[in-house]
Amino acid sequence: MIAYFSNLATLVAIFGILAVTLNFMVGFAGIFSVAHAVFFGLGAYAGAQIALTVAPNPFLACAVAALIAGVLSLCLALPALRVRGEYFVAASLGLQMVALTLFSEVKSLTGGIGGLTNIPRPQIFGMEVGVLPLALLALGLLLWAIHAMANGSFGRTLKAIRDAESAAEAMGKPVAVAKALAVAFACAGAGVAGALFALHMSFVNVESFTLDQSVLVMAMVIVGGTGTLFGPLVGAVLLLSLPSALSFLTFIPPTEVGSVQQIIYGLAMTLLMVFRPAGLLGDQNKGKSHA
Amino acid sequence: MLFVQLLLGGVQNGALYALTAAGFALIFGATKVFHVAHGSAFTLAGYVFLYGWTHNWNSLLSSLAAVAVAVAFGVGMERLVYRPIQRHEGSFFTVFVAAFGVSIVVQNLVGVFAGRGFASIDTPLSNASEVLPELFLADVFWVAILVALVMFVALTLFLSRTNAGVALRALAQNPDLLRAYGLSSSRLSMLAFALGSALVAPAAILTAMTTGLNEAVGNHVMLLSMASTIVGGVGSLRGAALAGLLLGVAESVVLVFLETQWASAASFLVLFGFILFKPSGMFGAAVAK
Repeated sequence: MIAYFSNLATLVAIFGILAVTLNFMVGFAGIFSVAHAVFFGLGAYAGAQIALTVAPNPFLACAVAALIAGVLSLCLALPALRVRGEYFVAASLGLQMVALTLFSEVKSLTGGIGGLTNIPRPQIFGMEVGVLPLALLALGLLLWAIHAMANGSFGRTLKAIRDAESAAEAMGKPVAVAKALAVAFACAGAGVAGALFALHMSFVNVESFTLDQSVLVMAMVIVGGTGTLFGPLVGAVLLLSLPSALSFLTFIPPTEVGSVQQIIYGLAMTLLMVFRPAGLLGDQNKGKSHA
Repeated sequence: MLFVQLLLGGVQNGALYALTAAGFALIFGATKVFHVAHGSAFTLAGYVFLYGWTHNWNSLLSSLAAVAVAVAFGVGMERLVYRPIQRHEGSFFTVFVAAFGVSIVVQNLVGVFAGRGFASIDTPLSNASEVLPELFLADVFWVAILVALVMFVALTLFLSRTNAGVALRALAQNPDLLRAYGLSSSRLSMLAFALGSALVAPAAILTAMTTGLNEAVGNHVMLLSMASTIVGGVGSLRGAALAGLLLGVAESVVLVFLETQWASAASFLVLFGFILFKPSGMFGAAVAK
């Protein structure tokens, strides 16, 4: 039972990192990416390769994962600078599909469909450590950084760009740099989550980085409330405990549990958007979201 | 001969993609709703036809049922999901998420009730015969091209010759002016959704006869329709249809050089390139940032 809960808590922390970083892009910078799982995946493969080939040091793995995801986030930043709205969503969908093919085909780095197995447990100075404290530490640091940025000049610049890009540009704000940095920060965060995920599961394959996963993370952000600090965390807790909650409903045949879960996700997304578009923790009185 | 074979296969798929893309482009052009659940209409129509076929309905009846379900789904989405969201806020992303939610629900409901995995039907139409040495072609190839052509001619005539069609084009250009002339934009939006969704039904039926359907087929259809609409240029039905055809051909011809897994990545690379370098697409007006 303790193992079960510590596993769930680790996953919540990892997906919490994904959700708060995606929320940073969506809620503060107005960049609606549906390719977050791509950078999660990049981080996971990078972290796994470091642990397998260099050393199972979690800090090294996270740093390399963040670096790779952050640099490759340029693939997402470029369309974000060119287009907005529907076009950007389409571009990020395209990126997601291409990346998924690459993940399953570049077998020398990713192990293809079979994935990378036997990733060693993380060790610090020769001592084996659990992933849970590391993930909580990373999550805490990221939340602190986002909180600090949100109220600082960088966060205000991003919000200005989100609400009125031309106005922000006219005020002399460096729009391109700010957008690219926001994307790089969020994707690097997703990379860290990926490295922790790889170390926690000790096995990664392409199944964890699909469009469905991107949408799941997006659903966490939306359910909790975009642009709020803790909303995405609430969303992560709710959506990840859904499978275990469903297992108590014994009248659902076990083969259909996955589908029922997906149907609940889908319905929740649609109903929330129709009746409570700002999310559970969002400010309902603001009325307008900032797309 | 392999190349010609793949080219013809691509044309056949492309003709069907052109139909679904034109539906998506019609809806997006007229109502400005990014109808991500468009693929779900395809899935539903295909499975209704499949149901009718396995229960020995008349094939005309099954086809009509498929069209009816697609239209009902499109209009239902407009009434129950898009309209309420636009009434209180109208952010495009809210619409996107809501529609994505619906498509997840449809995919899983179909999986639960119709079973998972590929399902297809065998008709005399889908039996391939050797027309030239090493070149196989089934009658369904001609049917697909004929259906796509007939639908386009009908749609073009409707949009240019009838009052409702002209009003739909007006809605795409200037909804405020349309209302000032006393036309109802809400009824026209419903018409756009009905027509756009009806276009996917023949494509779904023909897909059921050729490559077969699975519960996730809607995702692929949605992504391709969206890609074609953008590559073709938003606001241009012809552009969307042509881009759909081209993506279908590209997806197939690329197999000469690469393995199957790369096929869909190829079309999304094309989309990605267009968004980066020419976001207005092939025939579209320049997009506002």
